[in-house]
Amino acid sequence: MDADDLALFERSLRDATGRATGGALDAALDDLGLDDALADDERSAVSLLFGLQGEACVTSSALSLVMARALGRSDGWATVLPVVGDSVPPGTIDGDHLHVDGLAPSGLVGRTAALVVASTGAGRTVACTVPTTSLELRPVIGVDPDLGLLRVTGDVDGAVERADLPDGAWGAAIAHGRLAVAHELVGCARAMLDLACEHARGRIQFDRPIASFQAVRHRLAETLVAVAMAEAMLDAAWLDPGPEASTMAKAVAGRQARTAARHCQQVLAGIGFTVEHPFHRYVRRTLVLDALLGTTASLTTSLGTSLLRDGRLPPLLPL
Amino acid sequence: MTVDRSGAGDLAEFRRSLDAWLDAQAPALAPAFEGAGTLDDQMAQLAKVKRLAFDAGWMRAGWPERVGGLGGSTLTRAYLGEALTARDLVEPGLYSMTEVLAPTMIDYAAPELAAAMVPALLSGDETWCQGFSEPDTGSNLAALACRAERSDRGWRVNGQKVWTSLAQFADRCVLLTRTGTVESAHRGITALFVDMDSPGITVRPIGTMHGSPEFSELFLDDVVVPFSRTLGEEGGGWAVAMDLLPYERSTSLWHRAAFLHRRLGELLESAPPSALDPARLGEVTQLLYAFRARSRATQHRMADGDRLGPETSIDKVLLATTEQAVFDLVADALAAEVTVGDDPVSGRWRSEYLYSRAASIYGGSAEIQRNIIARRLLDLGDDR
Repeated sequence: MDADDLALFERSLRDATGRATGGALDAALDDLGLDDALADDERSAVSLLFGLQGEACVTSSALSLVMARALGRSDGWATVLPVVGDSVPPGTIDGDHLHVDGLAPSGLVGRTAALVVASTGAGRTVACTVPTTSLELRPVIGVDPDLGLLRVTGDVDGAVERADLPDGAWGAAIAHGRLAVAHELVGCARAMLDLACEHARGRIQFDRPIASFQAVRHRLAETLVAVAMAEAMLDAAWLDPGPEASTMAKAVAGRQARTAARHCQQVLAGIGFTVEHPFHRYVRRTLVLDALLGTTASLTTSLGTSLLRDGRLPPLLPL
Repeated sequence: MTVDRSGAGDLAEFRRSLDAWLDAQAPALAPAFEGAGTLDDQMAQLAKVKRLAFDAGWMRAGWPERVGGLGGSTLTRAYLGEALTARDLVEPGLYSMTEVLAPTMIDYAAPELAAAMVPALLSGDETWCQGFSEPDTGSNLAALACRAERSDRGWRVNGQKVWTSLAQFADRCVLLTRTGTVESAHRGITALFVDMDSPGITVRPIGTMHGSPEFSELFLDDVVVPFSRTLGEEGGGWAVAMDLLPYERSTSLWHRAAFLHRRLGELLESAPPSALDPARLGEVTQLLYAFRARSRATQHRMADGDRLGPETSIDKVLLATTEQAVFDLVADALAAEVTVGDDPVSGRWRSEYLYSRAASIYGGSAEIQRNIIARRLLDLGDDR
């Protein structure tokens, strides 16, 4: 996309994420050609959309679409995601039996079929097209009911439409999904920082805005450092084809968004603890996004474990 | 073979050619000492490497032709420092002084002065230092008191500087002086380029916790500096300082990232696996890669001609956080080496661990960086 196209696309996305969420946002994104935008310039489309989705604290099925594209599928709006904290395919196949345990964005309700990636006993992965009527879709309440996630479970016997996936396809889907979720986490962190800065400038105590107190300023400065760090890691991950980079970007974004939540909550103090202020929505969203496609803690430990096994650091993105 | 050493063409090609040269010249470039060496060893090694790299053209890449450079992208400078650091051929902090001081001369010295002086710095013939801080003026740089007064022979300078890195080795000094009244604060400061062999200059190295006396006190007693050595305008020294500081937080930090990457890799190779907690190792690695990604973006902004400013304070906070995290991991994983090891390899880990404590102090403390971020980047207003 050239600069004009990008600016127009960003305006459209900002408008859509500013007024719609869930199924309505899916429809808006479909209308404005998200699929084509992803095909044309995936990096710009993903970073803009998920950043804005995080900033506005809204949700869509775009993560499913992004992961499906990495699988080489064009029917992606209804891709089932792994359960929280996990990154294995949501399906397992044993003979003619397909067991499904995963998550999906709320938009799956309106679709006739779900795309379920499943692992077979033989170590292959296949993409199954499963009628949604044969799956149980149960709303997840949890810490962030507004996210509208669905728990998707089912045991399907007999023939479902299956297509073999090439080696590495699921890994690529997870890698692209992690980049998207990381952008959403950064969007949340930015929004929390904006809310906290606005509060600090306007809240007067001891006859001064609390933004004039160094203890407050330094927390907010620390938050900007956290956001900048996550953004830098994401920029590098888009340029770096290695599988480690997207995982690192997700882990860094999760940790930094939680750092942002901690500092900003402290600056917002009492008002930030109430439901009268929007801040709590971002705290909730951050917690779930951090866990989606692998928690920061688990991704970090598994990075350390593989470094110890290999005895060397991952390759560096050259200057 | 003709090689494009300006880097104006392809950075990847520059990298390949430089790497090949470094491989071929490895014996000539190798240090003659084991472990970290003494500061004298390191300075001699630095001069040797710069000389060889200058004569072969590499050290001139990315610098303007009017000061003896070959022109081309500043990314070539970033890569040269990275490559020398990754191969353990130079101490990155000492090497990076060039990246801090040469741009100042290029931007603020009279053109003929810059043309005469900068090549000596690039080639390793000379060492320069930076006289900013004073005993009563650390973080509050605008209150500096070292006095310069007009005389018929030039500026007459009296005062004292401290934390002046490499002053005991230096041939020249970029010196901030007070030419206005003390009340004039940042408006009454003038930058001078001073010959360190001028009569009236006394240098006293200061012992440091990590064992390398890399900075000194500097006493100036009726030191005469020609007016032609004024950098920028009289009373314009604050601009010189403010333009210099972002350089201190850009290419130098890229070189530092290369150093931390090498040392973390060496830790991974040398520590018993049971000594490293996977979660901490993973987190430190992520921190290092994210810091490097940030610094990489800064290198590209600089190469694209962007003016570096307060956003480089983020780079500096990230460096301090990363360097201390890497060496905290070292201190735990190699506890015996760091605490009671008396061999050169252990001595180096120990010295570097101790030096990492300074990362949140030098070049503007972590608190000053956060103040800059709060005021300039977050628009939080004044802090009083």
